[in-house]
Amino acid sequence: MPDIATLLAVLLIVVKVGVVTMILFGLPLPLTWLERKVAGHIQVRLGPWRVGPHGLLQPFADMIKLLFKEDIVPYKADKLLFNLAPLLSMVPAFAVFVAIPFGDSVMVPFINKEVTLYISDMNVGILYILAIGGLSIYGIILGGWASNSKYALLGGLRSAAQMISYEVAMSFAAVGVVMMSNSLSLLEMVKSQSGSFLNWNIFYLPVGPVWFAIFLIAGLAEINRIPFDLTEDEGTLAAGFHTEYSGMKFAFFMLAEYVAMVTISVLSVVMFFGGWNAPLQVPVPIPPIFWFVAKAGALIYFFMWIRFTLPRYRYDQLMTIGWKILIPVALVNLLVTGFMRI
Amino acid sequence: MSKKGFDLFDLVKKVLFTDFVKGLTVTLGYNISKSITMRYPDEEKWVPYRRFRGMHTLNRDENGRELCVACELCAKACPTGCITVIPMEDNTGRGISDRVAQVWTVNVVRCLFCGYCEDACPTRALRLGREFELACTDFSCTLKSREELLVPQPIPESIPGGYVVKSKFERTPQGIKVVPELSKYKKRSI
Repeated sequence: MPDIATLLAVLLIVVKVGVVTMILFGLPLPLTWLERKVAGHIQVRLGPWRVGPHGLLQPFADMIKLLFKEDIVPYKADKLLFNLAPLLSMVPAFAVFVAIPFGDSVMVPFINKEVTLYISDMNVGILYILAIGGLSIYGIILGGWASNSKYALLGGLRSAAQMISYEVAMSFAAVGVVMMSNSLSLLEMVKSQSGSFLNWNIFYLPVGPVWFAIFLIAGLAEINRIPFDLTEDEGTLAAGFHTEYSGMKFAFFMLAEYVAMVTISVLSVVMFFGGWNAPLQVPVPIPPIFWFVAKAGALIYFFMWIRFTLPRYRYDQLMTIGWKILIPVALVNLLVTGFMRI
Repeated sequence: MSKKGFDLFDLVKKVLFTDFVKGLTVTLGYNISKSITMRYPDEEKWVPYRRFRGMHTLNRDENGRELCVACELCAKACPTGCITVIPMEDNTGRGISDRVAQVWTVNVVRCLFCGYCEDACPTRALRLGREFELACTDFSCTLKSREELLVPQPIPESIPGGYVVKSKFERTPQGIKVVPELSKYKKRSI
């Protein structure tokens, strides 16, 4: 018979998992709105405007539309894989957040208990994130394969090739951060960057900015966003791997994509921008979670900003950037970082 | 790869992401700039210039008499033959002369709004006005008769136009209408 304390701890974990999952399910709603707004304003348009003030209720309208759309399974498609693929791409995107720390610990006012703002502090957190995050590619590949469509299959194949090329560079960037912070645990990583913003890994000169550039480029390629969105290249592949998907299954793919974007921004914040540490010591008490959310939000905006600035790379350019530039640069940078850490 | 061989300047530019940053500043500039979208029809509406050629309108003189003398010059000048005029004699003072139009119709689906009819009009009775919301769901609005055209248009001749006004979107059983508030206007380049 487990005692009360154990039960409470388990309950706390369940509550935390539930809250994080709910937040992640809810996040794509404002993000789609923001993305369309940013797109509109960069193109000197207004973006969503009709549904609610400034189009704020547009995501809900979209959600209702997706819920009521017909769920089509193409003729001769592999039904099991076709239905499984959206889940395979969504679950890893959510599972990554088990290891991500959003803050140190806060006092919850009503139960008077110290609650940590992370689900688990793994001592190999970064490894776990890279491993689980890499799994979500199966959803895309299987979705492309199971659709019985040329476009979808090509999208899936491209995605696989892209993944193989950029996962290496991304892992190197993670190794670099691990060397700079002396730990694989994300919590320790953030703690090692406390103090002023000069302690952040991105300002660990001269290697920090290079690691960040490598991580950012590889991350963009990992989450299939412009300029690396060859898997859903509208110009040549209709809609890539999710050409044949409609309704809620399509929504799951979009959900996974947005959650992956949040993952990359949050990871960048944790690894390079000092997590929830304030950039400067300010006299007014600002909760650390504010800094965390503000930094992640700025990065998400940056991703959207890039999306409407850069054109899409060609497939061979993508491979050239991955294998001929990022990986050699990462290797040299690893050497320099090693010498600096002796 | 370039034929010139190794170019140090090019390499530095690539390492510092110069072109990328340049592109980002351009898009940021557009992001914070004002949108040029006109929120037509329920918030804003464009008031055309006087030279705009929209729906036909038949004018009256200051005493309320019809200026049209049914000379049929407009019908003769019309390249598509969409204007039908049938004259009649009337000396009750309906028109400025004793020849008035019994029937004056324009087939709006045929009309190409070239403005030859208003050029041909000797009494300036006919003008192409500034109404441009001509859509309807049946054939009722395709043939405009004299009675309809004699009703003055909502935008009077005295307004120079060329600006955006506030507008309201009104749904009536007869259809939907965009009602401009001509007093509240702002100049804006289109």
